[in-house]
Amino acid sequence: MSDTAITAPTTRPSRVATRRGVFGWVRDPWRKPRFLQTLTWGYLAWSILPVLIAIMFSFNAGRSRSTWQGFSFRWWYQDEFDSLWRDQDLRRAMVQTFRLAIATVVLAVPIGTAFAIGIDRWRGRISRTANFAMLLQFVVPELILSIALFLLFNKVLKDLFPLGTYAQIVGLTTFQLSYSVIIVRARLLSIGPEYEEAAMDLGATPGQALRRVLMPLLMPAVLASAALVFADAVDNFVTVRYLSGPASSEPLSVKIYTAARQSPAPSINAAATVMLVSTLFMIAIGWFLSRRVSKGDTSGADAVFTGL
Amino acid sequence: MPRRHPLEFSRRDFLRRAGGAAVAVPSLAAILAACGKPDEPGQTGSQARTLARPDKPVTLELNGDPIGADTPIEEGATLQVYNWSAYMYKKVLKNFEDKFGVTVEWTTFNNMEEGIQKLAAGQVDADVFFPTTDYISRLAQQDLIQPLQHALIPNMEANVWESFWNPGPFYDTGWRYTVPYTIYTTGVAYRRDHISDSEADAQGYELFFNQGAAGKISYYDSYRDALGMMLLRNGVTDPNSGDPAAITAAKDAILEMLNTYGARLTINGTYAKLPEDEYWVSQSWSGDIVGAKWYLPKGTSTDVLGFWYPEKGLIGNDTIVIPKNAKNPRLAHEFLNFFLDEEQGYVNFADWNGYQPPFTTIDPSALIDDGVVPEQLDRAVVTEDMFTTAYIQGELEPDIDDLWLAAWNEIQAGG
Amino acid sequence: MAEAPTGNEVTRRRRSRSDRRRSTATTRETGVWYPKAYWPSFAAPGVLWLAVWFLLPFYVVLSVAFGSVDPAFRLAEPTFQFWWWDFSTFQETLEGFYVAPAIYQDPAIRTLTYVIVASTVCLMVGYPIAYFTARHAGRWRSLILVLLVAPFWISYLMRVYAWQSLLQPDGYINDILGVVGVEPILWLSGKQFTVILGLVYGYIPFMILPLYASLDRIQQSHLEAGRDLGAGPARTFLRVTLPLSKQAILAGLVIVALPMFGDYYTNDLLGSDATSTLGNMVDNAIVQAGQQPAAGGLAIVLMVLVLIPMLYYMRETRRAISRTS
Repeated sequence: MSDTAITAPTTRPSRVATRRGVFGWVRDPWRKPRFLQTLTWGYLAWSILPVLIAIMFSFNAGRSRSTWQGFSFRWWYQDEFDSLWRDQDLRRAMVQTFRLAIATVVLAVPIGTAFAIGIDRWRGRISRTANFAMLLQFVVPELILSIALFLLFNKVLKDLFPLGTYAQIVGLTTFQLSYSVIIVRARLLSIGPEYEEAAMDLGATPGQALRRVLMPLLMPAVLASAALVFADAVDNFVTVRYLSGPASSEPLSVKIYTAARQSPAPSINAAATVMLVSTLFMIAIGWFLSRRVSKGDTSGADAVFTGL
Repeated sequence: MPRRHPLEFSRRDFLRRAGGAAVAVPSLAAILAACGKPDEPGQTGSQARTLARPDKPVTLELNGDPIGADTPIEEGATLQVYNWSAYMYKKVLKNFEDKFGVTVEWTTFNNMEEGIQKLAAGQVDADVFFPTTDYISRLAQQDLIQPLQHALIPNMEANVWESFWNPGPFYDTGWRYTVPYTIYTTGVAYRRDHISDSEADAQGYELFFNQGAAGKISYYDSYRDALGMMLLRNGVTDPNSGDPAAITAAKDAILEMLNTYGARLTINGTYAKLPEDEYWVSQSWSGDIVGAKWYLPKGTSTDVLGFWYPEKGLIGNDTIVIPKNAKNPRLAHEFLNFFLDEEQGYVNFADWNGYQPPFTTIDPSALIDDGVVPEQLDRAVVTEDMFTTAYIQGELEPDIDDLWLAAWNEIQAGG
Repeated sequence: MAEAPTGNEVTRRRRSRSDRRRSTATTRETGVWYPKAYWPSFAAPGVLWLAVWFLLPFYVVLSVAFGSVDPAFRLAEPTFQFWWWDFSTFQETLEGFYVAPAIYQDPAIRTLTYVIVASTVCLMVGYPIAYFTARHAGRWRSLILVLLVAPFWISYLMRVYAWQSLLQPDGYINDILGVVGVEPILWLSGKQFTVILGLVYGYIPFMILPLYASLDRIQQSHLEAGRDLGAGPARTFLRVTLPLSKQAILAGLVIVALPMFGDYYTNDLLGSDATSTLGNMVDNAIVQAGQQPAAGGLAIVLMVLVLIPMLYYMRETRRAISRTS
């Protein structure tokens, strides 16, 4: 309810004749700022339309991704060698994408949550250094981190830990750790320590206070960070490309990137659509779950999902 | 509301913390001090090796024994193939999978340097690898490839040109480590609907500097091919030249082509973009232009594809090798044998990649009649005698290679 | 983060008392007792993880940059003992920026250009949109928010790939331009404009959301106060809204500009070698014979380039906090 007195009133005074049509929209003195409105909707269209068009082209009958040649499912399952479903390569890539994403969530979210809780409460030099390292890792360009990890695996851990799926999981977790920490930390800060203190005043041990009081309050943030980490892990192509080994360790994102630099067929559009749908699906689940967990206290969930 | 801001910081704090992190590191370094100091570069090998050239063939030393001829075929294995993309017909791979009941996994590289780097660094596990000939000697010496068991590859002597096995190619006499995969020349592909044959004949390499095709020119993103062709265009007759002036001139020519004529560096310009009329002129291996017909949009006839090649141009062949640490060496041998099979190799070429295999069963003059090679691409057909006259690129000495790479670096930085 | 003073003093005092209690962690006065190693044990896995997989790799980068190459394939041989580090290759890399033929100079200038122009455009375009959404969206706000957040969940790769398809010579952009009679333009043949457009397209959501969050939090009462004192809409904006959102602007710029320094994929997909960035130089060098130490050196340069604005941002944030609390 932030736009009340200063901006447009919610009901128009009856004596002002309401004008219809475009002319009315332009001349209406209670209109929203015309320029800003056009700009915003224009931006939204510019932002979303290309993706929708790309999805549309995955159903293209021909080989082009820029000229429409008719509708078909050729690139989804019909083409014998190159369609998304029949191409062994792309199928393996799909499996790899989800494998990496799930493994990353399983690693990054617990470590990140624990890290956030620990850093928030712990005073001390090491704590602040660790905090700094974590923030640094958030803004460092992914290329640098990927190169560093690549060299680590390639030169130091050459025989112990080869490049491939495990290396990719390590890289992804390292990269996503800070997202998890930041989201959980933000939520922690807004919760404050009062609830735990109250619980312990009433006789709970620290462990109980944590488990029974803090964690439920923190759940929306944890779920939100899980959804975000999943989405980012699915979409990641810089780190996984550098840390990939044989072809089977290349997820969809890397296949799309490699193909996009050469001559992609619409099966790549189909692959990208799959990535998109799975991400949106996980986000929806995460959002839904976090709303249920917070049981009506919606401010937390929404704020966390959008207040990044 | 926050009681203490997470980003509360000062520069002094930052330096202190960064210092704290830095202190921990040297102690780790002390642990690593057990590793010896890196030696001064290369007492091993590079000086002791002569570089293979067509007039100076090289017999590679055996770095071990080939696998026994009675080694059983690995059952149900996954064969790891490391190759250029789009270079093998998936149908032929499927035939191989069906015949032996195995799976084939194909990891790709974008250019030879990247492929070698990843293999040498152990980043890719491969059972089969497709290097160009200038790396064979180094690969063998560094123990990265294994000697072949000839008894397991009977198709070599049955189907392949004799020069490849008796006495064997100049880079590997006695075919100890390699079998040939494809033979190709490097010329200039062009769209015949925009540039007439006579114009192409007259211009030759100058097609890259054709004002009418400006913005629609592509060139290979691979330093040996790129600089090599420009050397020939500038009149230098040694494609392995170490002359700094010649290399600089070649580099400048490429930069001029990129900047003034809007050319693009890409590895698939010929087969992917030329058929779609995005490029009118592109540097092209002979196989690329022959295979381009599969990428033509519906309704476009193969007449639009043209290929120019001089009297004496660049020629070469690709090879297949088996890396030393291949997990399925026996199956790998079967793979090599499979691609040397007259039928499988032919189908791979005629129905897919357009790259001729050096088979005795293929009559170059019949290729046009059979419709495999369109008539106007007759210069893309490779015959055995061409190998004696054309220019072959071989391995470069390290310091000359540095010159080439420095020039290439400058090109990649956008000049 | 401005707050009206509404009796926080009491809460603050209480917090600082329990803070002290927690940090000493020995008193049992009120039952709020945590073992000394309690919280550190939570943070320990994360700290260990970062130490091994984040800090250590940077040391490896230094070892590679100051190391040598093997003679056969010219792959990097890192020198882990820092007393044996050899700075000559790094010096050559640095000289690549200013000593002829200065091959890194053009990519460096281009990178700076892209970052500055793209970040500025992101801000110029993003701020009005955030402002509109925060203050004027009314009943459309939730929908607009969902659409604004959507690009976060859509892969950057897919969005730039979608753009690449549209910018093809036979793509829709040229089709639309053709309707107005413009010849098909080769957008993807090494035009800086295309690369910057791609960067803006990719990064602008990261600018809009922090701005929105901050503008949303600006209390109506502040704006009303400004109006009451006689300021018109423009002056209210300049004197009240803009300064209050300054932190968010800085945060947005940091989130957008710093990762852009390492962006190589946007140019890979939308540009060519003629528009290459420092990120492309690193990406190329890491797979080229003999160039891996140079790649390490360039990575160090990029890190330093990124650290400086980051430090500035942190100092600014700290100053802002101390000013308001």
